Amino acid sequence: MIAGHAPKPVTARMENHGSSMLKVAMATGQDLFARTGSMVAYEGFIQYEPNPPAVRQMASAWLTGESAPVMKCSGDGLLYLADYGADVVCLNLNNESVSVNGTNLLAFDAHLQWGVERVKGLAKFAGQGLFNVAVSGTGWVAITSRGTPIVVDCGSGADETYVDPDALVAWSSGLKMKAKRSFKASSLIGRGSGEAFQIAFSGQGFVVVQPSEDSTDRLRARG
Amino acid sequence: MAREFQRGHKAKISDLTAGTDLYVGVRIAAPGLTFDISCFGLDADEQLSDDRYFVFFNQPKSPEESIQLLGPQAGDTESFRVTLEKIPTAVRKLAFTATIDGDGQMSQVAPGYIRLVAGGEEVARYAFTGAEFSTERAVMLADIYFKDVWRFAAVGQGFDGGLAALLRNFGGEVAEDEPAAEPAPQAAPGFAPPPGGPAPAFAPPPAATPPPAPAPSFALPGGGATPPPLPPPPPAPGQQGFTPPPGSGDPAIHQAPTMIAPLATPPAQAPPFGEVPPPVAPPVPPPPPAYGGGPTPPPFPQQPSFGAQQVPPGPPMAAGPSYAAAPTQGAGIQVSMQKYREQPTGQRWTQQNPKMMRADLGQGGGQAVLARQGSMVLYQGKVEFAYKGAGFRGRVVGAMTGQEMQLMRCTGGGQVFFAENAAYLHPVELQNDALCVSAENVLAFDEGLQHEVRRIEGHGIPGGALYTMQFQGTGTVVVKTHGTPVVLPVTPTTYADSNAIVAWSAGAQVIVSTQVRLRRSAYPGHSGETVNLQFRGAPGNFIVVQPYEV
Repeated sequence: MIAGHAPKPVTARMENHGSSMLKVAMATGQDLFARTGSMVAYEGFIQYEPNPPAVRQMASAWLTGESAPVMKCSGDGLLYLADYGADVVCLNLNNESVSVNGTNLLAFDAHLQWGVERVKGLAKFAGQGLFNVAVSGTGWVAITSRGTPIVVDCGSGADETYVDPDALVAWSSGLKMKAKRSFKASSLIGRGSGEAFQIAFSGQGFVVVQPSEDSTDRLRARG
Repeated sequence: MAREFQRGHKAKISDLTAGTDLYVGVRIAAPGLTFDISCFGLDADEQLSDDRYFVFFNQPKSPEESIQLLGPQAGDTESFRVTLEKIPTAVRKLAFTATIDGDGQMSQVAPGYIRLVAGGEEVARYAFTGAEFSTERAVMLADIYFKDVWRFAAVGQGFDGGLAALLRNFGGEVAEDEPAAEPAPQAAPGFAPPPGGPAPAFAPPPAATPPPAPAPSFALPGGGATPPPLPPPPPAPGQQGFTPPPGSGDPAIHQAPTMIAPLATPPAQAPPFGEVPPPVAPPVPPPPPAYGGGPTPPPFPQQPSFGAQQVPPGPPMAAGPSYAAAPTQGAGIQVSMQKYREQPTGQRWTQQNPKMMRADLGQGGGQAVLARQGSMVLYQGKVEFAYKGAGFRGRVVGAMTGQEMQLMRCTGGGQVFFAENAAYLHPVELQNDALCVSAENVLAFDEGLQHEVRRIEGHGIPGGALYTMQFQGTGTVVVKTHGTPVVLPVTPTTYADSNAIVAWSAGAQVIVSTQVRLRRSAYPGHSGETVNLQFRGAPGNFIVVQPYEV
């Protein structure tokens, strides 16, 4: 039983070990940004720098005054990351760009361009404000999802794709997004407050959603 | 939704599909190599006692046509049709194998798969890559075997020799006694005898007389002796009436991914048998003009970096280049996301993955769907959501417990994705039957179903009573469970915890039984009193219990 879970040989920079653990092959000069608190194990010589100055500036919009939610990992070895059992998906960007919901970002290569964006007009909607991190370039990004995610293509037709903000994981950066409120007092979709809203996406690209409306940031909540 | 198999996984075919008319597709390819994909019909001792059940390019079908070779189609390198109930009792195992024709080794193989398709829907897939093999020249991909019932097993075991050695392993004989029959690395076709040797006929064991069918001659005389070219794969599909008649319906419309699907399309026809879903992914609209201005990602699986010697790294789907080469040769997001893509079908309810359900409101007469509020995660098209109370009775119930079941009514045309809390979802199709579902476990249902809230009173149930919804009629109910549920038949002594019960057939009668004698310490935090539901009913009734106590 134990033998069945031994690590498999490394074949890529980022890989899944099972559905909910990420294995990163670290090498000198190829640093990684990972969510603070997401490390579950490592082999080799890896150093962690929480709250690096460069990140603090970049992520200032993300913060509520505490330390930055990402740490810089550098060194040689194998690094295992997980987020409370959420499914992990590794994305290999090839000069592409993707926007990831802040709570669903697990790790990404340090050499990628990234920035924190506040979604215009939507910030007050989801509980703690909806922040997303736009990552672009060529390299690896790992995202988490509560349950197996699903990827849906947005069409180019007149209709838009509407997503519950709590279930939104990531989307391709080319999409236009806007808030949609259902003004009818009787239509209560979405969770909690009774305010019904969705995010409408239009344009060419894809949207990733998770089968859960749990958007709490577990890594953060732990403190 | 196709079930992904790993090497060594086994499953009953009846659990995968109700059908017995199966399509088996194999995709295996490597640069510069050709493969022979064959099916061995073995007896209970795993021997090929009757060589008429060795289905390969030279013998495209078994005598009673239970196993037929169909040739390449729908993205598969080779495909078979297997009709389980026609297979004679002497044949207990079908072993699907691929052998390299000529030089080469299995580690060069690009990501491939063997898949099982039934009723136009892919039900099982075992994906493999060359990384799992080394210098083997043949591989046993998967078995369909009979053990009480027909089962499917993903084998993925390499085999050193070529087809001839494989054949010998299965007790067949290559009529060739020279030791050189072992194909030398340079020998051209895998099972070719050495040049100049007598044409080796693949001879059955002496006992079995040669069959009337075209004797599967393995002859491939080398040297200059009139080398017949390898027979091309039989053009079976047409003559066996297997391909969908051209123009039968237009499944393309419903197989398109959820985008503003036309609403006034004719109801989807069940795709004919030969209609195989596309191999890797549904037709995806052309990649958007470069996210971020980069080059569009190369379509799977043409990976330029998979050199002949390089082992394709990464999991089969997320075939990225090796770690060293990562920054330069990205596979692109599309490849990584391939396995999470939406699975379009033409049905009203489609399970996208174990935790997500898609409802196509335009299908099924355009009736509305009632769903638990907040369970919508995404929708496309013109869908209207409206508050739906639980009705007068429900309101009474709600007033008494403070827990009214909050529903919303989804109408219009379009696709709605439902999910809640990453719970497992199970579509239950009712055909004029009735089912009771604990109210907490209802996610969504067709409005056409009659539903009423029933109350099971019992002393000690939290909240005073247990609320269940009884559904009756024809339509689909989506039930959610935490974890994999168990279905038990109702016997005279069937009890279930009132917190863990999910659903039961309406024919079963519920009695509340209370056991007060458990020690207080048995369950910390518990009053020591536990409520069980006892079920009584005629045979054929069942209950469903989840491994989670709400």
